[in-house]
Amino acid sequence: MANYFNSLSLREQLDQLGKCDFMQPDEFADGANYLKGKKLVVVGCGAQGLNQGLNLRDSGLDVSYTLRAAAIEEKRQSWKNATDNGFTVGTYQELIPTADLVLNLTPDKQHSAVVNEIVPLMKQDSCLAYSHGFNIVEEGMQVRDDITVIMVAPKCPGTEVREEYKRGFGVPTLIAVHEDNDPRGEGLAIAKAYAAGTGGHKAGVLMSSFIAEVKSDLMGEQTILCGMLQTGSLLCFDKMIEKGLEPGYAAKLIQYGWETITEALKYGGVTNMLDRLSNPAKIQAFDLAEELKGIMRPLYQKHMDDIMSGHFSQTMMEDWANDDKNLLNWRKETGETAFETTAAGDVEISEQEYFDHGILMVAMVKAGVELAYETMVSAGIKEESAYYESLHETPLIANTIARKKLFEMNNTISDTAEYGCYLYNHACLPLLQDFMKKIDTDVIGRGLGLNDHGVDNQRLIEVNDQLRAHSVENIGQTLRGYMGAMKKIV
Amino acid sequence: MSDLVRFEGCQIRLSDSYSLKNLTFAIEPHQHWLLVGANGSGKSALAAVLGGIGELVCGETLSVAHVKLVSFETQKALIESERQLDDSDLTDEISIGTTVAELLAECDQARAEDLLLRLGFEGKFERGFRQLSTGETRKVLLVQAICSDPELLVLDEPYEGLDAGSCAALENILVEVANHRPVVLIVNRLSEIPGWITHSAVMSDSEISYAGPIDWQVIEQIMQLQSAPNAIPRAEQADRVPTLPPGPLVKMKQVRVAYGDEVIFSGLNWSVEPQQHWQVVGPNGSGKTCLLNLISGDHPQCYVNDVFVVGYQRGQGESIWDIKQHMGYVSSHLQMEYRVSINLQNVILSGFYDSIGLYEQATDDQIAVAKQWLSLLGLSARHDQPFNQCSYGEQKMLLIARAMVKHPQLLILDEPCLGLDEINRQLVLVLVEKICLSGETTVLYVNHHAEDKIKSIENVLDMAAFR
Repeated sequence: MANYFNSLSLREQLDQLGKCDFMQPDEFADGANYLKGKKLVVVGCGAQGLNQGLNLRDSGLDVSYTLRAAAIEEKRQSWKNATDNGFTVGTYQELIPTADLVLNLTPDKQHSAVVNEIVPLMKQDSCLAYSHGFNIVEEGMQVRDDITVIMVAPKCPGTEVREEYKRGFGVPTLIAVHEDNDPRGEGLAIAKAYAAGTGGHKAGVLMSSFIAEVKSDLMGEQTILCGMLQTGSLLCFDKMIEKGLEPGYAAKLIQYGWETITEALKYGGVTNMLDRLSNPAKIQAFDLAEELKGIMRPLYQKHMDDIMSGHFSQTMMEDWANDDKNLLNWRKETGETAFETTAAGDVEISEQEYFDHGILMVAMVKAGVELAYETMVSAGIKEESAYYESLHETPLIANTIARKKLFEMNNTISDTAEYGCYLYNHACLPLLQDFMKKIDTDVIGRGLGLNDHGVDNQRLIEVNDQLRAHSVENIGQTLRGYMGAMKKIV
Repeated sequence: MSDLVRFEGCQIRLSDSYSLKNLTFAIEPHQHWLLVGANGSGKSALAAVLGGIGELVCGETLSVAHVKLVSFETQKALIESERQLDDSDLTDEISIGTTVAELLAECDQARAEDLLLRLGFEGKFERGFRQLSTGETRKVLLVQAICSDPELLVLDEPYEGLDAGSCAALENILVEVANHRPVVLIVNRLSEIPGWITHSAVMSDSEISYAGPIDWQVIEQIMQLQSAPNAIPRAEQADRVPTLPPGPLVKMKQVRVAYGDEVIFSGLNWSVEPQQHWQVVGPNGSGKTCLLNLISGDHPQCYVNDVFVVGYQRGQGESIWDIKQHMGYVSSHLQMEYRVSINLQNVILSGFYDSIGLYEQATDDQIAVAKQWLSLLGLSARHDQPFNQCSYGEQKMLLIARAMVKHPQLLILDEPCLGLDEINRQLVLVLVEKICLSGETTVLYVNHHAEDKIKSIENVLDMAAFR
């Protein structure tokens, strides 16, 4: 199979990359009705599979699970997940032919095998849904002509998809119809009903394309989201230990710090996150972020270029073929890092202290978000996509780190994200070595001393202006405004 | 300092059919106690017991010699004895009975006259007690009690029957009295609680359910709830939630919940009719919460069981929001899950939409109702503060209000008192009792503690039977 994106003309590539429109709430007035009475069969029962299925069933849809015969016979975890939750479980042969909509929620790297196996079993004129476009775009999967192919991609880990639904809300969701596979023109209606069934319509739905989703998603997850937070966690922790801070305190500051500072990001963008700092600290964070951006920009560009050219997916698929040897080694190493093995201490850290003592973390988030965003936009991805795949998702991964730290975070995220995180982490750690040598506890661990409290008015005005003038802030304000209309009172 | 009065594990019989039970508390000098409780809870009986009435059945008591009690009962008793003293019928002489002056004979005369004057009782010292109006007899008894300088003064609703001017005067007099004498007080109105009260005892079902230093806010809430017939804020005006067809609210047949091979319970048949309040009991792990979650739709195995809830046979294409709109739910799990950035008012408003967090624009009417609930909980002033900065008890109270705000058909309370201090527990129990009696909502209640029993909940489902 050839890379689908690379098979398109530049004109088509740019057209597909540039797709991303925020859908209005009234477009979801029918909720999940289009799928009521239809048979939904989910392939795979991992985090996304199980949690999306739970939501869809709670929205009144008919959901069952199909697993490989071996998984059923051996009563594997996926089988337990489905049966403990009261779902009907059957083999591909038993259930796929009955399905009106097949939801392929297996890990990316199984997609080719799974899709090749299920498509021949699918009934005439049915629909195949993906949660990620990797298989179509990067692997060039061709699906039978009578089958509608759509994508519904909740922009959160599966557990969050469920938690937000139970709260009566949802997670922002991206939908797309694969134009080569929409024979009856019903792809959009199905995708909308599916998104509504998972609760996504309450949090905002973006109409995108398979290509825009894949390229922006890969970029975001491997750079700022997982890569930067992982690399930052390790560097900041080691620095604090080197400078004699109490390990329990350092571990806690990192584990919960990302979540706390990016909560401010979620509400009011990079500007608000920096506004939480004192003026002297803000200027410090701004300067550190500028320096970090200078150092890391080539790395972000390399990641984007490799994603666009297909080099990234090709390398990853080679590692898949090699039984993930590189990835698994790295995963093990992550589990053994000092940060990972040090439990968060029993010390009280106030919300504000996470900012005051985490100036470098704020700077890292700012640099990572802006770099990822700038790089995506310069590659032809629309601002909306770039915003969602960078700034918007950062608090979600930060939340996962707060709950599970790094090792489990890597377990939770997708294969592609983990692989990208692995590449980024490998390149970024040495890249920041010199930078970290100059870092002291005033910007990570202890906060500014009394002597650091002078502020030059002119400089402060410049910093504030620059913060607010960034394009990610402008688009962010608009998109949060849409969200705000729905989630006005949080 | 030694106690003035002490009860330890006492049962005191007041009549053939009425006793106060499990009395354990003590009053020290310089304490001023307020007795609180619903009508019939036994607060007047406790006042009487303090006044030396009743027969000790078991337990130990200690009491100072000189206690003075003024209550409707003592007033009635005096009037009754005066009536019997009246032998006019026999002697054919008009007798006025005991005069006011005689009643006050043992008091400091100047002080008694001064107090009566302040209470608006003038120049009637030679009149017979029988000839006085109810309010006047009350004043004389109060003055008599105060002027006899008791070691403990017990006043059961002293303001009842007094006009506004006299109430104000009595208030001032009591301030002076409380300066050097311990006082036990029962009042009916919140506004009548004097600031000098230091301790409170809450009575329910002929027992003391709380005794200790006064928590003003909670005492006020309890009194407010108990005194107002329509204490629970109204429902919203709009009919957002469809009306349910008549018939049972819950019907379960041969329900079984299992994880793998581990069966939590099985063979459960149960049906809940409207207005049939249930308590669900059973040991830990017997599946009480699990059962309630099957009803609320939060347990996934509701889809593989024969469960009918609020008009829906589960698993027929209904959404959980169709189900939840008819229910209110409170549990410790919900409290843990309710970790969103939200202010107090919006927590209550979220009950209209069954959401954790508020994602819809609430109507003005809903906001008005939410404000009433906040006021009931004494949290009005903090309406815009973050929920996560509230105490555990306050959070729980807010979540109960959230569950009640839409006046649901079914209210599920899974250990609502868990983690609450005693006084807040009383408040919750009073609130739930009110809800049970409201006639709109059917309550399903899980509780481990016998002392948290709610009177109106008469049906009991014991999960131990379905192991």
